[in-house]
Amino acid sequence: MKRSWVRRLLGLHGMLFLIFVYAPIVMVVVLSFNANPINMMIWSGFTVDWYWSILGYPTQLNEQTLYVESTDQLLAAVKNSLIVAVSTTTISTVLGTMTALALYRYRFRAQRFYQGLLYMPMVMPDIVLGIALLVFFVGVGVSLGVISIIIGHCTFLISYVFVVVSARLAGMDDTLEQASADLGANEWVTFRRITLPLILPGVIGGALLAFIISMDDLVITYFIAGVDSTTLPVFIYGMLRRGVKPEINAIATLMLTLSFIIATLGLYLRRRS
Amino acid sequence: MARRGDTRRLAFLLAPASVFLGTCFIGPLAVMMLYSFLEPGLYGGVEWNFYHWNYGRILGWADGEWEEFDAVYVQIFLRSARLALTNVAITLIICYPAALWVSGLPARWRTLVVFLITLPFFVSLVVRLFAWVLILRPSGFLNSSLLGLGLISEPIDIIFTETAVLIGMAYILLPFMFLPIYASVEKLDRSLLEASADLGASPLQTFFRVTLRLTLPGIAAGAVLVFIPSLGNFIVPDILGGAKVLMIGNLVEQQFLSARNWPFGAALSVMIMIVMFAAIVLYLRAIGRQEEVSP
Repeated sequence: MKRSWVRRLLGLHGMLFLIFVYAPIVMVVVLSFNANPINMMIWSGFTVDWYWSILGYPTQLNEQTLYVESTDQLLAAVKNSLIVAVSTTTISTVLGTMTALALYRYRFRAQRFYQGLLYMPMVMPDIVLGIALLVFFVGVGVSLGVISIIIGHCTFLISYVFVVVSARLAGMDDTLEQASADLGANEWVTFRRITLPLILPGVIGGALLAFIISMDDLVITYFIAGVDSTTLPVFIYGMLRRGVKPEINAIATLMLTLSFIIATLGLYLRRRS
Repeated sequence: MARRGDTRRLAFLLAPASVFLGTCFIGPLAVMMLYSFLEPGLYGGVEWNFYHWNYGRILGWADGEWEEFDAVYVQIFLRSARLALTNVAITLIICYPAALWVSGLPARWRTLVVFLITLPFFVSLVVRLFAWVLILRPSGFLNSSLLGLGLISEPIDIIFTETAVLIGMAYILLPFMFLPIYASVEKLDRSLLEASADLGASPLQTFFRVTLRLTLPGIAAGAVLVFIPSLGNFIVPDILGGAKVLMIGNLVEQQFLSARNWPFGAALSVMIMIVMFAAIVLYLRAIGRQEEVSP
């Protein structure tokens, strides 16, 4: 029949689509275990030495070809990334959730304005926001470093948390909150005992999203990171600009794993709720 | 929904984000716009004089006394717009059939496949582009495979071409096209398709007259979400395009990090922003018209 023919063609396209999406990622993971230090594309045995070498341990591969530039720099970049990601996640989760509560539990005149304002950072091209922040920080006199990166990330991560928490709030009415207030609970108790548990999956989802995006942000950080405050993506970008090296496979695989774990955790939480 | 004491609570909830976004989001954009009208200093920095030649240099009214008009900027702008629109077309062609496929899957598979398609979005941009460098470079996966299979006799140059930039941009922006289209395909009222078939329309007629029309809002949203980040992209052309495929984003980056002409860079950036707003306005108008037609 004609219909099934169409379906089969669509199915084939879908498979190719998934292969296109995953093949490059799988390739990087496989290559990170390839023992060939000269030509990555020729398989010459399984090794985990690249992982040891990015951590600064001497390995067999390392004796022949010293690739690692500086483990210290790499670790400093990881540390910066984590400091930034944890701080921005905390700040943007609190502010994003508060804003979502304001917009979805109250009616006021500037509502549409706020909605627009909150969507703006998400559609603003990274380069525009990045250089605007750079010009602003230099103009105001904020020195470029971890603080400037944290501020920069928060400008767009608040919006992401807002969207995720709003989605949760939109599907919920406020009967329980009303009841709690009618029964004499004060605002704080109502929030802590009723509202927060109800929106918690959304809040955690938003926080995870903010954490991943902050860890991975390249373009905006690239403009507002100081000399000593390189984050992991900016560090890899710098390495990549100077040439392709096998260690990047190993670093990339570790980053991939972290992203996958957090994203899967997010999905799990969403399905449970 | 209105309750007593609302104003105070509302103010408490809104104040922190308002202050923060006001100073650290609106503020920077305003400062950038201001910079675009200032005179570049001799050694980087700015002079506080009103100076519209930054725009004159790009758009053509600089007469050579202060700044030289150079058509190359408009050309780079047009090339960026062309590449961004091509990318919209590519991602649309890839994602539309994929969305149809996913929506036809059994329910429990659907969630998993949508998750699988969006998962790479969470993987660092630089990692995903690194993978494409490994594939496309002269000694990369593609050339090694083709040489190994004997299909080509010497490596073909793909990296540092527009093709490479388009592949990279399509790859990183696929989810932005897929998700809105999928959402609208999913919402599609199946009974309308059956009605169309019952009334004698061929599958092709049904597709073009019903399915495609009803999913236009999704297509429009995807197009905007892909067009905007493509237009201002500088990482993809930088990594996969080298110096050969210069886009407007690369030009802005150069003005800030090497040429050190911040006002000119700010002017270019403001123009990207104007194009962005134009795209959004077009989108909103298209959506508004769609809603008038099919409430």
